[in-house]
Amino acid sequence: MLVSWEWLSDYVKIEETPDAMALKFAMSGLNHEGTVEFGTDFVIDLEVTSNRGDCLGHIGVAREAAVLLETPLQVPEAQPVENSSPASDSIAVENKFVDGCPEYTARIIRGVKVGPSPEWLVRRLKAVDIESVSNVVDITNYVMMECGQPLHAFDLAKIRGNKIIVRPASEEEEFLAINHKAYELDTQMVVIADAEGAVALGGVMGGADSEISETTTDLLIEAARFTPLAIRRAARKLKLQSPASYRFERMPDPAGLDWASRRCCELILELCGGELEQGMVSDGPVAIEPKPITFRIAQIKRVLGIEIPTETAKRILSDLGCQVAGDESELQVVPPSWRTDVTRECDLIEEVARMYGYEQIPEDVAVPIGVAPPRPKDIALDRARLALSAFGIDEAMTPSVVSEAFENLGSFWNTNEPLTVDTQLLRGAKSLRRGLVASLLDARHFNQTQGNRNAELFEVAAIFLPGQEGELPKEQSTLGIVSAGDLQRVKGIVESIVSEVAGNIELNWEAAPHALFDDETGQELSVNGKVLGYIGIVSNAAQSHFSLDNQAAGAELSVDVLTELLQPVRRATQVSAFPAIERDLNFVVDEQVRWSNLSNLCREKAGENLDDIEYCETYRDAKKDGKGKKRILMTLVFRSMERTLTGDEVEQAVQAVVAACENELQAKLLS
Amino acid sequence: MPLSSVALPCYVKDKADDSLAQNFGPCSLDIFVAILALPDAGFCVPFWYGNQKMDLQSFLTALEELSEQASKDFESAQDAESLEAARVQYTGARSGKLKELQKAMGALPKEAKRDGGMSFNAAKNRIQQAFEDASGRLSSGGGSASSGPGIDPTLPGSPQHIGRTHPITQTIEHLKAIMSRLGFSVVEGPEVEDTWHNFIALNIPEDHPARDPLDNFYLSVAGATVVDASAGEARLLRSQTSTVQIRVMENTKPPVRIISLGRVYRPDDPDPTHFPMFHQMEGLWIDKEVNMAQLKSVLRLFATSYLGSDVSIRFRPSFFPFTEPSVEADFWWNDSWVEFGGAGMVDPNVLESVGYDPEEYVGFAFGLGVERLCMGRHGVEDIRFLFRNDLRFLRQF
Repeated sequence: MLVSWEWLSDYVKIEETPDAMALKFAMSGLNHEGTVEFGTDFVIDLEVTSNRGDCLGHIGVAREAAVLLETPLQVPEAQPVENSSPASDSIAVENKFVDGCPEYTARIIRGVKVGPSPEWLVRRLKAVDIESVSNVVDITNYVMMECGQPLHAFDLAKIRGNKIIVRPASEEEEFLAINHKAYELDTQMVVIADAEGAVALGGVMGGADSEISETTTDLLIEAARFTPLAIRRAARKLKLQSPASYRFERMPDPAGLDWASRRCCELILELCGGELEQGMVSDGPVAIEPKPITFRIAQIKRVLGIEIPTETAKRILSDLGCQVAGDESELQVVPPSWRTDVTRECDLIEEVARMYGYEQIPEDVAVPIGVAPPRPKDIALDRARLALSAFGIDEAMTPSVVSEAFENLGSFWNTNEPLTVDTQLLRGAKSLRRGLVASLLDARHFNQTQGNRNAELFEVAAIFLPGQEGELPKEQSTLGIVSAGDLQRVKGIVESIVSEVAGNIELNWEAAPHALFDDETGQELSVNGKVLGYIGIVSNAAQSHFSLDNQAAGAELSVDVLTELLQPVRRATQVSAFPAIERDLNFVVDEQVRWSNLSNLCREKAGENLDDIEYCETYRDAKKDGKGKKRILMTLVFRSMERTLTGDEVEQAVQAVVAACENELQAKLLS
Repeated sequence: MPLSSVALPCYVKDKADDSLAQNFGPCSLDIFVAILALPDAGFCVPFWYGNQKMDLQSFLTALEELSEQASKDFESAQDAESLEAARVQYTGARSGKLKELQKAMGALPKEAKRDGGMSFNAAKNRIQQAFEDASGRLSSGGGSASSGPGIDPTLPGSPQHIGRTHPITQTIEHLKAIMSRLGFSVVEGPEVEDTWHNFIALNIPEDHPARDPLDNFYLSVAGATVVDASAGEARLLRSQTSTVQIRVMENTKPPVRIISLGRVYRPDDPDPTHFPMFHQMEGLWIDKEVNMAQLKSVLRLFATSYLGSDVSIRFRPSFFPFTEPSVEADFWWNDSWVEFGGAGMVDPNVLESVGYDPEEYVGFAFGLGVERLCMGRHGVEDIRFLFRNDLRFLRQF
């Protein structure tokens, strides 16, 4: 809202400088956006919150100043002289759309002379960024900028059938607006029509056919109330936002219609001549009277934490236009018609507080202490991030809504169709992602284009797993990783993260082919029967989809499951004071024998002194060992808590292991 | 040097993959090239190839030569990388030369196997010792002054990359740490919400501009138009984290003292200060006696902790549907007022919507944009940098 200092001074005497006043406005609810000089005038730009339609005119702003400065507010009476011919003989008003236009009023002026505006009027409008059009149009704009109520002047001669009909637009109704552009309307929009057709799009824009021209002599002055939602929809849909639609969206004073209409007519008679016909023609229920509010003074202290004297509260409220009655402890307050936002006790507390000054509220009162221990999820993620950081993997943050192409690569967690949004987040992105690897591969590709080769990235974010129709999707907090195309590395990373969070727990890995991964590399990790995550080497198809130069590995872990596994406090176990004895074993086994078969059997047979089994490598040599065979090299570590082990007892344990492996797994030990 | 490079030749064979180079990360590739470049590296055909028998003497000679050559190569290695390359060449677990000789032992006559084995172990120990000597020499600053060229003290150390957490994560962790010291517990909630939690319970009526379909990411529903989307049972990506506060209050008896943190979504075209996805932190404190002076004091403690020195808080009146009174909070920092975020006393309608009696309970709420704090703190000039994931950007924090 642009406010002319000179104009403002018509209604209130301000001793302060414009800068000092702007600060006072800012500290009482009208945020100061800036001040510019305009000739001898100053124009102050104030931000008006959407609940304060009353401050979208100079009088409303002046009232704020009057309360702040404790000086009187002077508002023009607006008593135009009427002749004796009833306006109702000139025009009839029929309101068929009270939902969209609760109240419609018309006044008739005959015999005006349309021409240029006087210099003062042009200047005042120019100050608030409104171009002069003609004296009549300028006056409607002037009154709008004075009291916040938009008005419209029709050329009465162009109103066919002496009748105004307020109705919903018909579907696809065409309307030629005052800007001489044609618009297609819908049934939720308000049309102001005459006996034959639309003459204005209510609250948004007048029509070209009935606009004021130099030959206009008779006027219909419209002052109406429109439903904010209807106006906002229409203005937005047709891209016809104007100062008028802006104000209607924020509800001008419902009881101020008549004043605005009279004020407009008064100025027209004064500046354009003509005669005002008697009375106002209207249709629509009169605005509802504001209801009284009980204001318990003790609530001020309860909500604000400070006392404000009852007398001060009363003074502020009555200066703001409220009717105030009551005693020391309880007031009965009837808010003014223009404050449709004030309906409750808490609203009154805010009115008193903002005028009394929030700087009166201390910032150093005691705050009761409380405890807020970290959530298991935070502890788990802290540890996971620490591990990832140590592995040299950087954290990315990618949009949760992705293109359909990403989602077509599939999810590890869910096979339902992804949910979509109506509006795209970024170009082409409408699908709520069900996984993170695709987004991270995209980020890896972006880095490739920037010369950052082989970017290794992780992200922690919710993924959206659609369930039954109509239900909210399951949102799974997920850790996604992309790394260089080394399966054992990504597996080691995942295993380290799990052990950081959960300590040494048993991990179950199984082959789990997935479209995102190369054949045979896809693996599923589960713990205690719960799926924790997936890893694999990114498939050629996905690699080429993202135009990646290098092979990549991917992983996703459910942070929810990981958190369930959290071992929040690590417990000490005793470490042996005695030396370890290591034995390397090199077995030739059938291809289908798994490491887990071998290691479990060793663990079972090696006796109580087995301390650890280390996997070294797998090697295949069809020439030496035959087809379908592989060599697995491992180290058994023996150690006792009580004593130094002898070579003999270790040898016995190894023999037991070797015998078991030969018998049960047909393993052949290489010397 | 990455561990993966040690086992690399094995991996190559394991995979039996033609496109070798594809299987290596950048570091491994260097080593790979280094091995190929060695004049008689393990990729050539070994002398015992085939099933020919060999005599003990040739075996011992080969062992002797290998151990001498290895000691020489280890001694002449000038840095850890070339030493490692030499180590892989001689003692590599799969195709090291020592390994190849070990395999060759199979070709010895049966009666020579024992001697061969003992000599092999002795040679292996010598080579291992030579490696450890060389390794010790390099790690202790490399060679004595007389035996090699001097150390260039201006050479850089070998780069050690530590992965960075995202600057937004760092900011969030910072905020969480401060707020939990002030007794606020962290809560999270769904990012896909219904209109009840995103609007209605927050006192945002149907005709409020905030519910406009053009200002929100409503979920597509078969057969529904965009205009219907804002009504009734519609789902949307949450436009604020206050939704979580409603969910907590619905399921918790007061007192409630929480912060909700997370991603929120609004259809803004990306520019230096806008992105359609961003993060919010919102605080909520409900109890029998909570007032605006405490709100101001909590914000001052927060700002003081965040900025590291005592700051002052200013309230400017504002308007939010879910608080009454509503204010914009600023803090005084570097001789000017800096916008902190929105705050206010929880609107009685909100308390009622979650089943709290506004006559019994009262509370305050505040919210701020995480990106703005993060950008201000780290001097990030464009919000889009935060979501571009360029490593050169991410590694600065």
